[in-house]
Amino acid sequence: MTTAQDFPEGAPLTVHERTAQFFEGGRRRKRELLTPEGVPVTIEIADYGERLVAFTIDFVIWTLLTFAIYIPILALIGKTGGNLIAISIALFLGFLVRNLYFIYFELAWQGATPGKRSVGLRVIDRNGGPLIPSAVIARNLTREVEMFIPLGLLMQGGHGAVDWKELVAAAWLLFCLTIPAINRDRMRGGDLIAGTMVISLPKRVLSGDLVERALRFTFTPAQLQAYGAFELQVLEELLRRPHNPETTRVLEEVCDKICRKIGWSNPLPRSDVIVFLRDFYTAERAFLEREQLYGKSRPDKYTGPATTA
Amino acid sequence: MTQTADAIGERLIAKLEVALGAGRPTLVLKSREFRNGREEGWRELDELVRRVERRGVRSLSLDELQRLPILYRAALSSLAVARTIALDRNLLLYLENLALRAYLAVYGPRLSPGAGLRAFFIYDLPAAVRAARWHILVATLALLVGVAVGFILTVQDEAWFSSFMPAALAGGRGPSSTAASLRDKELFAPWPGATEAFGVFANVLFSHNTLVGLMCFGLGLAAGIPTLMLTVYQGLGLGAFVALHYNRDLTVECLGWLSIHGTTELGALILLSAGGLVIADKILFPGRYSRVENLALHGRQAALMGVGGILMLFVAGILEGGFRQLVQSTSLRFAIGLGIGALWLIYFSRCGKGARR
Repeated sequence: MTTAQDFPEGAPLTVHERTAQFFEGGRRRKRELLTPEGVPVTIEIADYGERLVAFTIDFVIWTLLTFAIYIPILALIGKTGGNLIAISIALFLGFLVRNLYFIYFELAWQGATPGKRSVGLRVIDRNGGPLIPSAVIARNLTREVEMFIPLGLLMQGGHGAVDWKELVAAAWLLFCLTIPAINRDRMRGGDLIAGTMVISLPKRVLSGDLVERALRFTFTPAQLQAYGAFELQVLEELLRRPHNPETTRVLEEVCDKICRKIGWSNPLPRSDVIVFLRDFYTAERAFLEREQLYGKSRPDKYTGPATTA
Repeated sequence: MTQTADAIGERLIAKLEVALGAGRPTLVLKSREFRNGREEGWRELDELVRRVERRGVRSLSLDELQRLPILYRAALSSLAVARTIALDRNLLLYLENLALRAYLAVYGPRLSPGAGLRAFFIYDLPAAVRAARWHILVATLALLVGVAVGFILTVQDEAWFSSFMPAALAGGRGPSSTAASLRDKELFAPWPGATEAFGVFANVLFSHNTLVGLMCFGLGLAAGIPTLMLTVYQGLGLGAFVALHYNRDLTVECLGWLSIHGTTELGALILLSAGGLVIADKILFPGRYSRVENLALHGRQAALMGVGGILMLFVAGILEGGFRQLVQSTSLRFAIGLGIGALWLIYFSRCGKGARR
């Protein structure tokens, strides 16, 4: 059995995380999942914003779906039923459509709904096992209890004095909304009960390697000792950015800084900036990877090579 | 296997490096050679995983199905190696992502949604309910206590009726109702027609009883005391309702009228309340786990009971809207109500029993 394990609290940031923090700000909550093959993989907990966006997209879809079914029915029975019956049918259809929608997609698409997929979220079993139907059904029907029934009750309420039922419903709604905030894995009540969690798993693209085959510029080991892995990955990230005047300006600035740092004295025309940086990236990466292999990995330019036994 | 192959490959590359390295070591990157040899496999795996995510494991051909775990293990091994030798951020993030997605695809659900739902209703649901028989017993007893107290108090003094039964639910019934009005307007009122019947049905979902049932379930989180109190409260209303008819010599007709959907609706209430008790039980007596861990371990059982309860409320709605006023004979009403009650009992106690899962 594999389990999602906590990342040790206050553990030092890995180089990836530092780079991510440098560009995006903030640090994602992570867990480690040990595969049966013995290689741990990292999972990222979805954050509130992503889940809200995914839910909003799903909300729009199933509301439209409900209306697409509702309007013909309403036309069929005519207006003879009266207002109350029309509302009842709408509520009932809404209940049926949204639950079938969520349950169907989470079963068929391996824990994703159209909204979740477009944001890059997945529902997974908290213990790393398969996502079984009873878990999917449980987590979705619990949403009714957590959200839609108290909401329905609050909206149904009259304009007069607040009665106890509305108070209970409001308190309940508030309680359910705070559940994700008070547990580490940001699980809502349904996840808690069904043993699931929502993770962020956007599809990543493998870009081409930035490493150059033939170098126009050569660097001495002393020059390459100026930086560590963090700076290398920041440079990689900058070089991968789409070309536009803004990127060019940033790259020129970075290039100037690097030249100053490593004491590059030869004149460098502006047109050569990108070639220079790519060559420097290649040389630096080759140097650092080599050092790392010899047990002298260097996380950033401030720390000396850490020797791992 | 793959590990040793990697090790051999690395040694080879290291030799090459020495051979080529004179003066210009920067040109040979282990991480690049590593990537060149494996990228094709990653891309193939990526494509297979993408299809599994879109259309399920069944969309793969037999060959692809055999390739999937092999490619997955190779990708995991690549990830482990890349973590130690590569500093290419894009590559590392890609491999992390691919490995996790492939893991979920390889160890993911095997069943199609349809088969999954069928297995759920045949095995999982009744088994969860059976596992909670003691909680069900307690919930039933609480309901019976409520009914008895409500009945005894209201029979003596009908003023109690209005305290046990919310005015909105009483529908004009009360101490002032006469036997004739109860009989003609309520028990044997004509069938209102399909549209209205459907309205009644839909209303049940959002009715008072449903709300109380769900509260019974949810408030299990508060150690179960509110669950028991609400269950007794539901029983009080029911007892008072029967007492009102008892005082007007309509007991049998009233029970018949109630039974047609009541066996199902009360069953739902008991199930929801027992589900709440299961939650309370797991929180109060966590055994060797922490309270939250224990809830997580057993929460699914409680959730399934909730699902069962909601399902029964649905059926109760159909019966109440569709059949109750359509069937005008008391004995037939009893037959339907008790028959359906027996069906529920058989479903939950026998279905999927002894089957291997």
